[in-house]
Amino acid sequence: MSDATQLGSEAAQAPARGSLIFGLGTTAVKLLVAGRQMYSVFARTLSFTIAGKSDPRRALGYMYSMGNQSLVFLCVVMGFIGMIVVYQAGLQLLRVIPDMTQLGATYLELLVKDLAVSICALMLATRVGAGIAAEIGSMVVTEQVDALHMCATDPIDYLIRPRFVASIVMTVVLVVIAGSVAVATGAITADVFFGVNPDTFLDFREVDAGDITIGLTKAVAYGATIPVVSGYCGLSTRGGSEGVGSATTRAVVNSSLAIIILNFILTSIGYVLFE
Amino acid sequence: MIRLENVSLTFDRPVLRNVNLHVPSGKLFGLVGPGAAGKSVLLKLVPRLLSPTSGTVVVEGSDVAGLEQPALFELRKRIGMLFQNNALFDFMTVEENIAFPLRQLLGLSADEAAPRVAERLAQVGLPGFERRYPAGLSGGQKKRVGVARATITRAPIVLYDEPAAGLDPVSSQKLFELLRAEQQQHGTTVLMVSSDIDRLLPVTDYVGMMLKGELIFQGTTQEAHETKHPAVRQFLRGEIEGPL
Repeated sequence: MSDATQLGSEAAQAPARGSLIFGLGTTAVKLLVAGRQMYSVFARTLSFTIAGKSDPRRALGYMYSMGNQSLVFLCVVMGFIGMIVVYQAGLQLLRVIPDMTQLGATYLELLVKDLAVSICALMLATRVGAGIAAEIGSMVVTEQVDALHMCATDPIDYLIRPRFVASIVMTVVLVVIAGSVAVATGAITADVFFGVNPDTFLDFREVDAGDITIGLTKAVAYGATIPVVSGYCGLSTRGGSEGVGSATTRAVVNSSLAIIILNFILTSIGYVLFE
Repeated sequence: MIRLENVSLTFDRPVLRNVNLHVPSGKLFGLVGPGAAGKSVLLKLVPRLLSPTSGTVVVEGSDVAGLEQPALFELRKRIGMLFQNNALFDFMTVEENIAFPLRQLLGLSADEAAPRVAERLAQVGLPGFERRYPAGLSGGQKKRVGVARATITRAPIVLYDEPAAGLDPVSSQKLFELLRAEQQQHGTTVLMVSSDIDRLLPVTDYVGMMLKGELIFQGTTQEAHETKHPAVRQFLRGEIEGPL
């Protein structure tokens, strides 16, 4: 078969433009390209963080804006989450075995290992991630990122690195504080609705070093993920204000998705290592 | 020296078509043309903020497409640029904006940069504006801060995109004269996009005109005045009747 005939035959077998397979293939390729670019942003951010020029003043500024401005929001969210989870768990427990002594221990293990860090990270993705994407996206459409390039400054180094450092530190700090609020509201709920004494509820015997390690590892991983994913979405902004809006939406969706997927991976690793 | 050879660029439609442009060293080249002709895009090809779909961009003897990151940063250190939207960092004061290239490119401290910033601000007619933020400036003031930032390092090549946009006629005239005087004093190579034909042409050595992505004319300013090209004549004279 001649080359021309073979190419013609392959073209005839290729999915038609506009078909379902063509659409799926195009989407898959786009996802792979975006994943590769996001990985590149992460690798360069990490490289600049380890080997680059330190800029503690800017990192501290972002810590303040991320931490201080998210603290009340996260405490309120985790406060209500603590009440809801303990109330619902208590009701279920009453139906199965009306023994409330294990309510606190189970709740605290779940909170330390997964619940506090995952809920906090998802809330931070909406609050901090959207802000990062909007700020960087606006800089792209107003040529400020081009101006950085003209000053021989890498936007990943200047814009993402300090946010990356700040986000890791503040995610850990905020998870600990907001998690403590969830412990307190959970204990109050258990006492008021189920008559569980706070001394009985605050039973940390089920929480071991493995649970704390998994919780902290997740906090660091999510803290690193949010600025990288959101920063990438901001830097890939196209067009004007509509593009900034789209980048902000993508930042929240992609950060949340990344957190859920990372949760699955880290939970699996934690199960293998510590269970 | 800046040279573009057979440069074409396509986004979702062709933006530049087979452009051949030559800006000699130490000369001021004015680039004119109606809106959406591709002037600003062409300017961004020089420091490789954009890359052409085909063709070659040569700056000071180097093909910019082939430069690795360190060499590209070195090239960009030798180019000052005023953007169409000024591109002032809105989270920095005027002083921090103008000092930014000095700090990033020349490694000066804030204290070392401060007198140079104050001097430059006075030259562009904005003395005492150091502590203000871009959000509190008028369009013309932002443009002048942008000019100050683009020229603060005395780069040997400067690209201006509409330096007089938003300025009143007197400020505009003063700014063009200042930029021309500095260009001649330092022997800078300048590529300037401007719609203010009346003030641009008296300060240029060479003129080029773009139309629908094509460079339809380039020559000395004298040749531009004398050209028989109907579109160029109409545009430079601001006539209503003609092919445009």
